[in-house]
Amino acid sequence: MLPYRSRLSVVGFLLPPLLLFGGAVLLPIVQSVYLSLFSWDGITDREFVGLENYRHMVGGDPTFWTSFTNQLGYLAVCLVLQLGGALLVASLLLTITRGREVVKVLYLLPAVISTVAIGLLFQRIYSYDPVGLLNGVLDDLGLGSLSRPWLSDVHTVLAAVSAPEGWRFVGLYTIIVYAALLAVPRELEEAARLDGANAWQVFTKIRFPYIRPVWVTTTIMATTFALRGFDIPYLLTNGGPGQASELVTTYMYKTAFTSTNYGYASAMSVFIVLECLVAVGLISLLLNRKAVR
Amino acid sequence: MKKVSLLAAAVGTALAMTACAGGSTGAAPGDVNPTGAIKAREISWLLSRPANGSVITVMKGLADEYAATHPGFSLKFITTPDRPSYIQKLETLAAAKKLPEFFDTDATPYAQKLAKQGQMVDAEKLLKDIGLDQSYRPSALAYQRFDDGSLYLLPFEYGAEYFWYNKALFAKAGVEVPKTLDDFPAVCAALAKTGVTPIAMAGKEQWPLERWMAYQPFRLEGPAYVGKLKKGEAKFSDPAGATAAKWLGELGTSGCFQKGFSSVGYTDAQNLFTSGKAAIYNMGTWELGSLATDKLDAGVRNDVDFFTLPTVAGAKTADNDYVAPSGIGMAVNTRTYDPLVRDFLKFALTKYPQQYAASGALTPTTTDVTLPANATPLYSKAISTAEKVGDELAMPWDTQLDPTTNTRLQQELVLLVQGDVTPAEFISTMDTTLAQNAPKYFK
Repeated sequence: MLPYRSRLSVVGFLLPPLLLFGGAVLLPIVQSVYLSLFSWDGITDREFVGLENYRHMVGGDPTFWTSFTNQLGYLAVCLVLQLGGALLVASLLLTITRGREVVKVLYLLPAVISTVAIGLLFQRIYSYDPVGLLNGVLDDLGLGSLSRPWLSDVHTVLAAVSAPEGWRFVGLYTIIVYAALLAVPRELEEAARLDGANAWQVFTKIRFPYIRPVWVTTTIMATTFALRGFDIPYLLTNGGPGQASELVTTYMYKTAFTSTNYGYASAMSVFIVLECLVAVGLISLLLNRKAVR
Repeated sequence: MKKVSLLAAAVGTALAMTACAGGSTGAAPGDVNPTGAIKAREISWLLSRPANGSVITVMKGLADEYAATHPGFSLKFITTPDRPSYIQKLETLAAAKKLPEFFDTDATPYAQKLAKQGQMVDAEKLLKDIGLDQSYRPSALAYQRFDDGSLYLLPFEYGAEYFWYNKALFAKAGVEVPKTLDDFPAVCAALAKTGVTPIAMAGKEQWPLERWMAYQPFRLEGPAYVGKLKKGEAKFSDPAGATAAKWLGELGTSGCFQKGFSSVGYTDAQNLFTSGKAAIYNMGTWELGSLATDKLDAGVRNDVDFFTLPTVAGAKTADNDYVAPSGIGMAVNTRTYDPLVRDFLKFALTKYPQQYAASGALTPTTTDVTLPANATPLYSKAISTAEKVGDELAMPWDTQLDPTTNTRLQQELVLLVQGDVTPAEFISTMDTTLAQNAPKYFK
């Protein structure tokens, strides 16, 4: 550590990122809040409507609530696949000794592929005619009765558009959780085993409490990512059929750029900021409180 | 959290630039012949057309030719063929008042707002001024006109939409070409029994299915129904709309469209037809290169024919009235309009039809088409049929309705045809959406 750190140098180093954050993130949020108080199509004069956009969002727009419910479904699928999958894969990685690096790279690969490519890939995987991978495998297994147009069936489409997003980032969270698991002291685990603890007890009493801080971070990351999920559902179905895979984000995009209702879209963007803040607060509260206990 | 906020701020960011949008200079919409010297510079065209398509190729050649006599001139093409992405770009630039010299748009209610704001040059006056007003097909110009008859968009294409069908598959199913729209469900059911897809539908594109919503009302009421409907002066529950909803429900239950059609894209749908797996394909003459030349699979080449929009009992429109669009139009920006832009337009638009027709495509002017060397006999039949299109235009509804109602209609149509909602539920949802959005959009 430096013996003396001048106030000026601290300010000098901190100011540029703060300005960048303020200009690129905070300012647009403030602008969104401001715009959400207007009715505006982008070309004619803005009309001040006060809280009318929020009133419409909460009380007069069933599509918004459908898309919010869908977003929660999307969140659930993503969290189960990403966090559950990551924990499972990371735990299994600890048990293998050879080829660990190769497996890690393979799992991480989808996270670096472009979203558009993933969209096209899953379009083909889910395809009904010509028969895609999923329906082909079902047919081969003698489960042909289950084959269906996954992206056109209102009962399956939400899960179908959520799965690629979940699958995509399993590798990323695996690496984070794996690194955390590596840091768990082996002697603690061995001592517990000597005392007769089984694998499940070792996991719940030693490993998981040890990785809890990392788990909180990954949960916050995965949750906020999923609450902002947009690209894959937009590319695969554009929210359809009907509103079966419409998310708040895709609905906001359409409201802004198809309906040119920028005021209402801004109100939705403010809602997304708020829901993310609430989600982060809840996760911190729940997981950290358990840690304290 | 940084990234969370970034997304939420997306809309705000895109619009932030509007705060610094500059004031306007430039011409008034009707001032089509501004005075002053022609000063060569780079001008741009924001467009939504295939990058290597005939329109861009021909216009590029013409721009180069013009540049040879006007050093310093160049025409920059900024193309975004994907329509939704293009519209986003157009609207963001329009909000920031940063549109270039030329920009593409359909004659939508949004474009009409831009025209009312004085952002587009009056195309009617412009064509008259450069002496080309008589050379255009009236129907090609009619397609580009707004409700009030005003013209602010220039067409570069022309085409008629037909029902391409596979004669062999029809014969195998023992069905004839449908004489009326109401024959479709029975024809579909018979075709489906033979194991083929009756109608290849690119549901992912949304507009192809929306065409089917327009057919019954167009035959029953003419173009008047959608004209009233868009403003909320007619309802989906009126006889024309209700008939269309019931008919589309029947098309769905008769298995007319392939299973999972809503996630099938343009090329996949076309492949269904050109590979002989689908019996009917509703598409415009802009696909003649794929449907009526030796590029078409030899296995189906001689089986392909077409019929035009069938009629209905008591139809108000003639048999030769159907959808004949002149494509997305080009607007000329008033803010950047000057003697150079006018001079280039005069040069390019005068020479364009001849060169475009040489590519084998129909032009918005009355220029004769040069048939390509690899054309099948169907090619000339398609061209000559298009020459006889009637006076009443069946306007695509996606260019007519307000954007929110239109989006909802596209979504609900899929549910209706898939059987997820009943015609009555469809009508109720659409009338609620229309009542909420149409009057305020067209006020």
